[in-house]
Amino acid sequence: MTATCASPIADERLIDYWAGDLPVADGDAVESHLFACADCSARLETVASVTGGLGALARQGRISGIISRAMLNKLQRDGVRVRQFTLDPGETVPCAAYPGDDVVVTWLNADLAGVRSVSLRVTGPEDRVFGVLDDVAVPATATSVLWATPGAFVRSMPSTQLRLTLRSMDDAALLGEYVLEHTGLEAAGGIGG
Amino acid sequence: MRQTLDAGDGELARAIGAGASEAAESELYRRFAPRVRLYGLRHLRNEESARDLMQQVMLLAIEKLRRGEVRDTEQIGSFILGTSRTMAIAARRKDMRRERLRDAFLAPRGFAEPEAGAALDLDRLEHCVAQLADRERSVVFQTFYAESTAATVASELGVSEGNVRVIRHRALAKLRACVLAGRQAS
Repeated sequence: MTATCASPIADERLIDYWAGDLPVADGDAVESHLFACADCSARLETVASVTGGLGALARQGRISGIISRAMLNKLQRDGVRVRQFTLDPGETVPCAAYPGDDVVVTWLNADLAGVRSVSLRVTGPEDRVFGVLDDVAVPATATSVLWATPGAFVRSMPSTQLRLTLRSMDDAALLGEYVLEHTGLEAAGGIGG
Repeated sequence: MRQTLDAGDGELARAIGAGASEAAESELYRRFAPRVRLYGLRHLRNEESARDLMQQVMLLAIEKLRRGEVRDTEQIGSFILGTSRTMAIAARRKDMRRERLRDAFLAPRGFAEPEAGAALDLDRLEHCVAQLADRERSVVFQTFYAESTAATVASELGVSEGNVRVIRHRALAKLRACVLAGRQAS
């Protein structure tokens, strides 16, 4: 049975099906096609493989960037060990990641009323740029932005001061500046967990 | 063997009913077991349950074919899909019971799921994810890890559902291409 599919399901539709975003009747129709079509099933297999991989990365704490509260809840439900720090604008907070911390989530509190998306710039000593996140959407009701970093990455960092600058993407207005005083594991005396 | 590989699904089903060949059963399993697993993953969202479903459905289908109990062998795909639907309902109930027990008696970490992406090079995928735009990364993780619908993601991001679908599709296409490029390079 090597015949190619005469009426392949569009990629967008396959992805909508896999994401659970099709009405029931449409989902049923896709399933009927998949059980009669090896080609489209194989295409769905690649979608499933990549999206399964995303889940595996998340469960290992290998996620970076701004995450939603729903993501944080799911990580915690899955037993991912999350170390959290919370900062108000202008605040300096000591931080470190310890063995066993899968992911570090930093809550950046800010007045986000009317802000649709933000940028986050992370710099070290002498203004060395560690990372820039651009055009990250924030929900209308948000009062903080959650920045996730893999625990393994944080553990690998030496002691340093990180400056976080949060701006509105709408008008580049400054929403908050925050400082993390990061202590590397060596300086912390090789913390045993 | 060549004949079995080239046979249509209906021919395979009839060959099994006629008691003809182990090869026909193997080929039917090879073709449909992955589809049942995908169905299970889609509806049960759990690799272990999906694999259980796959085994149960395929065993039942082959047994029914052997006994001549499948009326329309030409529509064997529909029969296997129907069986998958019925058995998935029972599996979902079982999963819910299991989750309730887990929540009541065990720490979540004790029940870590097997990694669905085991066949993937996760290091490569992580590299590919890092190449995505922040918004794309956020959409794919919210959709495929946090299991949020397009409507929920759209409301979180303040964009339309259609826009979420476009971002999602574009991001997955990039990830697939990047993962494949990594495979070809190695």
